[in-house]
Amino acid sequence: MRSRAALISAAVLGVLAAGFVFVLSTAEPATTRKADSPLLGKLAPPLVGADYDILDSAGQWVLVNFFATWCTPCIAEHDDLVAFSNAHALAGDAQVVSVVFSDDPDNVLAFFAENGGDWPIVLDGDGRIATDWGVARVPESYLVAPNGEVRAKIIGGIEVGKLEQLLAEAKATS
Amino acid sequence: MRRWAPWLALTVVVAVALVIGTTDRDEPTEAERVQAIARTVACPACDGQSVASSDAPAAANLRADIERRVAAGQGAEEIRAAYAARFGDHILLNPPRTGAAGLVWVIPVAAVVAAGAALAVAFRRWRREW
Repeated sequence: MRSRAALISAAVLGVLAAGFVFVLSTAEPATTRKADSPLLGKLAPPLVGADYDILDSAGQWVLVNFFATWCTPCIAEHDDLVAFSNAHALAGDAQVVSVVFSDDPDNVLAFFAENGGDWPIVLDGDGRIATDWGVARVPESYLVAPNGEVRAKIIGGIEVGKLEQLLAEAKATS
Repeated sequence: MRRWAPWLALTVVVAVALVIGTTDRDEPTEAERVQAIARTVACPACDGQSVASSDAPAAANLRADIERRVAAGQGAEEIRAAYAARFGDHILLNPPRTGAAGLVWVIPVAAVVAAGAALAVAFRRWRREW
């Protein structure tokens, strides 16, 4: 009787452990996680800064990246954004645009001077742009198609390989 | 007549309370309207907090946006609909009254009506037994 109870306990534990491994192995990756948004499939909300308007980028894919220098995942993803931007600079088919989320512009300028990144930076002092785009927390990014349609929302940090894959999939379905 | 007197008195009290509660109010100020709307909008970066009670940057952005929209003359439902269109319905702490979410409003009312009907049947049965 006692050995049967032990056997059943071992079996239950084994099933739980297998389930745990399965959940971990099939979970969404920690970076470049696609998320749902009411904006998907719709025209991108306005994105206008002192020297930039998203309408200027018509004909290009645009990765709109909301970030802050106080946000650790934003710092971690920056090299990947630089790699993505550099990879598409020559072809001119895609570009990055950063929107500053609740941060001091001086901190942002110092951060870009130190870490690189040659793309438009839009200040959002009153948070209106973040609210228009439905941004909850940073980093959060949106992939906008050349026709101005929002095609993907990405929460958490960006990983360049997965971003390239996402862009390729979006291009394939355009 | 004596049998119905308590019910009549209760009906009069409830009716007077409802009339006073719904009509004898000062027009809310703009700040009060902003606060009332902020209490019905969820902080998108928090769990279970409204933008009225959260210090998260996204909540601060939304509070400022509500102020701008109220100052521009937008109504509460218009503002809430605008946020649902940007963030999704989960941004609304008061669920919409249509679609599947509308069941949240219908079920409690149906439960109260059903409970009242069950009580009425039970009282009638007990009275017969006595």
